[in-house]
Amino acid sequence: MNHRHLLPNEIDLLLDGESGFGVQPLREHVRGCPDCQGRLDAAKRVASRLSELPLIAPRYGLADRVMAQVPVFVPWHVSARDTITPYIPTGRVARLAAAGVTAVAGTLITGGSLWLAARGDLVAMVTGLAGESMQSAAADALGTLVVAVFGPQVVTVMQQLGPMGLAAAAGGFAAAALTTVAGLRHVAITTRARS
Amino acid sequence: MKQTSVLDLANLPDADVVALAQHGREPAYRELIRRYERPVFSLVYRMVRDRELAEDLTQDTFIKVLSHIEKYRSEFKFSSWLFKIANNVAIDHLRRRQLDTVSMDGSPHATNSDLTEATSFELPNHDETPLQELEARELGSEIERAISQLRPEYRSCILLRHVEDKSYEEIAATLDLPLGTVKTYIHRARHELRKLLEHLKEDGIVPAEDPE
Repeated sequence: MNHRHLLPNEIDLLLDGESGFGVQPLREHVRGCPDCQGRLDAAKRVASRLSELPLIAPRYGLADRVMAQVPVFVPWHVSARDTITPYIPTGRVARLAAAGVTAVAGTLITGGSLWLAARGDLVAMVTGLAGESMQSAAADALGTLVVAVFGPQVVTVMQQLGPMGLAAAAGGFAAAALTTVAGLRHVAITTRARS
Repeated sequence: MKQTSVLDLANLPDADVVALAQHGREPAYRELIRRYERPVFSLVYRMVRDRELAEDLTQDTFIKVLSHIEKYRSEFKFSSWLFKIANNVAIDHLRRRQLDTVSMDGSPHATNSDLTEATSFELPNHDETPLQELEARELGSEIERAISQLRPEYRSCILLRHVEDKSYEEIAATLDLPLGTVKTYIHRARHELRKLLEHLKEDGIVPAEDPE
């Protein structure tokens, strides 16, 4: 038997429950040496006291205080998925049907887009016609409105004056409208002050 | 990623909860705080021994970790990363406090007793506040006082080893220290604790002799 007392680091090896080739002789020594056994027991008691230390709780509401200062970053793909998820059916059959409809709609839209792209002239012509038709309809509606409000003579005069006359008429109308609004406001304020 | 309820979160391993947090799920952030608020607070509190300060430093730790959650790499344990930040925050504070400390026992440059007396001062003796009473209750035991006598580096090593039950390798990774240094620190911390608790040897806590 080894009669040398254990060194502190050897006590640590036993304390940490190490199991190596060199540890077995240390264990055998401790079994036959009351001094070393006493030191190992004391070291174990200190370690045990340490491991029995309780965890201490911080003040209530730490999570709220922390989260008030932490920006929660949502990656774009997660955000996009979250937006779509509520619209996806939960049932298996409904989900398959939705996938089918989506696939058909996607195919039709893609095919239609490709077909239109291959016929650029046709698209340009149709777009031009539609634009002209809308422009003409808007002009007619405006003319009808002016005739209804100011009478046909005003329209004749405006046509004679041209764009400059039209701008002057619009300016005059705006000035008259503003003057009217200001006047009404003044009357309202005066009335309120008297009452 | 599947939506996960708060109850499910409690059953998930750290790595999965962190992954959910990285996907912007706020309940996952809160779950990580719930899991670690006590261990982190206990470590920081035992390092700085001031409850209010420990609250602030624990809050700072979580803010630092959770604000950079996207940088966390799953090959490391989340708890190691968290304790590393907590320990750094506490050690940084202790270093700053050491720089700011003024000795009550007079200037270290005093050459005679008159000069020492002239440069020393006494603090008025106020009654203990409720917070101080709480601190005394929480950290007033013999073992807690002995821990407070250790160097901060020894203190964090011994707390991680025995309170958090971390292996030497985990402590080395957590504190960014070589494994040999961790073993030395823990060995010295145990030795110092046994010396500091020597007066309790009649209770059988420490041995009379330690042949080092």
